Amino acid sequence: MSIFLIFTATAVGTYLIRISGIVLLSNPEKLPPRLRRALGLVAPTAMGAIVVNSLFLDEGQWRAFGAWHLAAAAAVGVALWKRSSGWAMSLGAAAFALLLVAGL
Amino acid sequence: MTSHQPEFDSAGQERGAANGGPVLGIGRLQWADAWAGLKAIAPLMPGSVAFGLAFGALVSATGISPWTGIYASATVVGGASQISVIESIRAGAPAVIAIVTALIINARFALYSAALGPVFASFPRRWKLGLAHLMTDQAAVVALQRADDYPDPVRRRWFVVGSALPFVVVWIMGTVAGVVAGPIIPDAWQIGFIVPLMFIAVMVPTLRRSEDVVALGVTGVVVLLSRGLPFGLNVLVGIVSGITVGTLWAEWIDARRRRRGQHVDNVAEAAEHEAGGGM
Repeated sequence: MSIFLIFTATAVGTYLIRISGIVLLSNPEKLPPRLRRALGLVAPTAMGAIVVNSLFLDEGQWRAFGAWHLAAAAAVGVALWKRSSGWAMSLGAAAFALLLVAGL
Repeated sequence: MTSHQPEFDSAGQERGAANGGPVLGIGRLQWADAWAGLKAIAPLMPGSVAFGLAFGALVSATGISPWTGIYASATVVGGASQISVIESIRAGAPAVIAIVTALIINARFALYSAALGPVFASFPRRWKLGLAHLMTDQAAVVALQRADDYPDPVRRRWFVVGSALPFVVVWIMGTVAGVVAGPIIPDAWQIGFIVPLMFIAVMVPTLRRSEDVVALGVTGVVVLLSRGLPFGLNVLVGIVSGITVGTLWAEWIDARRRRRGQHVDNVAEAAEHEAGGGM
């Protein structure tokens, strides 16, 4: 299947998910509690899985320790300290650039 | 001597001079409501542009057609799932695994959709069908937080479209900029780092609940332990494991809160918390 069709199938499935509650559910409290809790955990687990997979692994093998890990640690620290996406993004990128310039 | 008698709309607000003749067939009050929606979401737009840039650059670096990347941003409107599709393909995964992984990541939209049901209930069907496509994490939370300010459903739907539509437009524009700039970015810059950096920046500031931390920890450990699985399935296995353990943990925490008479989130509150991160 071409990547165009994969994105098309993803778009159709995502739209059906987006429309599900708006069309079918007049009372959101009818959502089963277990399903509600599970859906509430999708964002942190999905993003966490992508972070860990791209940060520590490179095509299935361990990524050599270096600028990626150090800059990511700096970004996590800033994100926890400032509770701001903008600060974490800016300072994480700046740290990464400095580490690359330093030859790491 | 005559006194000015102000007109009021169904929401009880003064129409005043803002409600003159229509512009482009749309009433001035509706333009004003859409503008209010735009102002409400404007502080979140730089993040949308940056995320779009990151996705566009990744598309370019992977050798995927720029038009396919832009098409994905316009039709899926979910950055994390779009990146997961590319990562799955790079790992050589079959199409079905790429699609299922992306849809599990986008399952969070079901929570917003459930919470938005009452907000959109009085909208015409064509509006519901159109606005549903525009419901990003950020647009959903703005709609949920401001719905009570617009008891008139006509005014509310213009507020919602004013916040949701421009947010998607800048997301697509960011993607275009990324695919254009991608080829001129040197390899030495290691642009791929923007993927973990972007998700760290979006996710970490929202981590406050213990169930989030537990689910995230389990996900990370499982992703690494199952790294030998084919087709990049370790990502999907990690997500499902984290959600499962995190849900059980959340049920235990909620039961303890109830025993102590403490507050437990309803669906709308859970959706607003969920929308603190993601795209």
